Amino acid sequence: MSLDLPLVFAALMGLAILLYVVLDGYDLGVGMLMPAADAGEQELMVASIGPFWDANETWLVLGVGLLLVAFPAAHGIVLGALYLPVAAMLIGLMLRGVGFEFRVKAEGWQRELWNWLFWFGSFLASFAQGLMLGRYITGFHSGFGYIVFAMLVGASLCGGYVLLGATWLIFKTEGALQKKALAWARWGLIWIALGVALVSLATPLVSHTVQAKWFDFPRTLALMLLPLATVAAGWRVWAATGRLKRGEREFDWMPLAATVAIFTLAFVGLAYSLFPYVVIDRMTIREAAAHPSALKFMLVGVAIVFPFLIAYTTFAYRVFRGKARAGLYE
Amino acid sequence: MDTSEVLLLARAQFGLNIAFHILFPTLTIGLAWILVYFRLRAARTGDAAWLAIYSLWTKVFAITFVMGVVTGITMSFQFGTNWPGYMQKVGNIAGPLLAFEVLFAFFLEATFLGVMLYGMNRVPAWMHIAATLLVAIGTTLSAFWILALNSWMQTPAGHILDGGKIIAGDWWQVIFNPSFPYRLTHMLLASGLTASFAVAGLSAWRLLHAGEDASARKTLRTGLVLAAVLAPLQIFVGDLHGLNTLEHQPAKIAAIEAIWKTGQGVPLVLFAVPDDEKRRNDFSIEIPRGASLVLRHDADAELKGIDAFAPDVAPVAPVFFAFRVMVGMGVLMLVAAWAGVWATRKAALPRRWMLWAFSGLTFAGWIATLAGWLVTEIGRQPWLVTGILKTADAAGAASGAQLGASLTGYVITYTVMLIAYFVVLTHLAGKGAPA
Repeated sequence: MSLDLPLVFAALMGLAILLYVVLDGYDLGVGMLMPAADAGEQELMVASIGPFWDANETWLVLGVGLLLVAFPAAHGIVLGALYLPVAAMLIGLMLRGVGFEFRVKAEGWQRELWNWLFWFGSFLASFAQGLMLGRYITGFHSGFGYIVFAMLVGASLCGGYVLLGATWLIFKTEGALQKKALAWARWGLIWIALGVALVSLATPLVSHTVQAKWFDFPRTLALMLLPLATVAAGWRVWAATGRLKRGEREFDWMPLAATVAIFTLAFVGLAYSLFPYVVIDRMTIREAAAHPSALKFMLVGVAIVFPFLIAYTTFAYRVFRGKARAGLYE
Repeated sequence: MDTSEVLLLARAQFGLNIAFHILFPTLTIGLAWILVYFRLRAARTGDAAWLAIYSLWTKVFAITFVMGVVTGITMSFQFGTNWPGYMQKVGNIAGPLLAFEVLFAFFLEATFLGVMLYGMNRVPAWMHIAATLLVAIGTTLSAFWILALNSWMQTPAGHILDGGKIIAGDWWQVIFNPSFPYRLTHMLLASGLTASFAVAGLSAWRLLHAGEDASARKTLRTGLVLAAVLAPLQIFVGDLHGLNTLEHQPAKIAAIEAIWKTGQGVPLVLFAVPDDEKRRNDFSIEIPRGASLVLRHDADAELKGIDAFAPDVAPVAPVFFAFRVMVGMGVLMLVAAWAGVWATRKAALPRRWMLWAFSGLTFAGWIATLAGWLVTEIGRQPWLVTGILKTADAAGAASGAQLGASLTGYVITYTVMLIAYFVVLTHLAGKGAPA
């Protein structure tokens, strides 16, 4: 079998991480938007993500699981270097998960407390993930400037998730809450523009490999399609939210779709920058890969499970299609 | 900070995490199947009371499940961060088994849990029943894969050494290693017992506050009958598991039974205070030749003692005591379940002291499971993977300061979560199922 196993698993891991970012991104975003809504709206927001958030988070376990099992050598370096932000993210995910499930069963001030923890946990997890991204793409260099940079990426990823959350709400709700979400989406868009710009500028500055890959005429001309498409998708979000706000004809799923396009394009750009490295300029996917016997066995499992996974995920989204209604759970 | 302290912190953190984590899947695996039963009763009788019971217990399931999920995510990171040597040496075995748990089980559970919790009015009844069933299958599959890995670490088989690393030679033998069938059955029964006592205990709590709650009487009976069936089965399977351990991990048995010296006609130590320093038992109460008789079915048979395995031996005292706690809880659960079945015959309501007793035993399964887990995990020390990798050689990566800081964070978060869990559980149990 002449299958390039490290490449296949790098692609699978990339897919799992992208799906995680987009899927958990929208429910983390909804979590961060909780304080901006009134009590009635909060119920709708929670109902819109209730059936999905658990499975969304499972993609994180798969992504990190694939890193651990397919590229064990890289896992040690990456997660060792990111130990504290990872711990912060995990605590954030715990608080929001528990907050989400417990808030429904509580009343009065206790529900307020869980709401607050749900918000805080969502924020902490998102910020920590951005911090991890910022540290990762700068090769874990230490120094004040790098830390500030990572914090800026952290803030922009929060903004990006807010955009995903807001556009999800535009898609899943109507009336006053949808109106509010339209305004939130625009704030998120500004932040994600900052984040994408920062990352795009920083990676070639930090790494000559990345610089060489992007600034290599005439390939650069073809590559410029990527940032152009990203800007176009961003413009699509801006225009679509504008039309929806004015009550003009527009699909309610358009802002979400365009946002997903932004994330996907940014992800593709990042993947292009890094490949074939799994730790920038230090370790390639081939150097980090596990033994072929382990990879082959896993691939069999993946091949069996993936069709079912796609099928029942689609099924779940079909079951809960349409606008969210409050009180589903009670 | 020196390496022994880092090792201690890494172990403390991982041990805390996994001990905290194991509580929740233990409850959800069993509870998922009880929910299938409730859901089927509701469908077959068309009785609104069973549907109310189902919806109450899905809430208990949901909060327990979420605790398991969030602590489980943490573990998926800690495998690599706390034990880099582990992944380096045996990652080619552990990796695929962990990945299969995610692929085969986690997505299935998480996706259909959404349908189960929120989909009652959105899908036909048969589909909702199927979703409940798939959640139960998912939880059981996750136990299958994680116990395959744990058992392989205890009794490795099917692997080959390839340039200093362990790789699989025969995956079938890796998965179905010698202790796996026993350990899996023992764990699934433990889960069933934990869930049945939780159902019975919380129902008893409700009955103490509202004696006429028909739903709580139904679920009390369900929990007790199930426990009465599972408890003797568990004792039988536990014994088989013990004999299997004697064959494959005799050092663990020596620690469990506090046998210091190899000999013939070894006595059974009922109680003692094992002294790991002096390698002897103080204040021991023994049955002459008992251990040989129980373990070898021959009063004069030879049994290996700690001396046969030194210096690679586990600390005896914790293993010895944890084992006795586990067995003690097992016997207590058996007696309580049988007494309970008798007391609830012909739909009778047990006396108040008995309801208090059942309430007190709500988490009996947790205590037994944790004790059993301590026996099996401490009992294999100093090995992380028997004969292949020592625990001390697997630690690394994180510094003492990082471990200390994150450990503090986890302890605070877990304490808050556990208190909240009990508050919400008591609240749910106190409210009961709206009949």
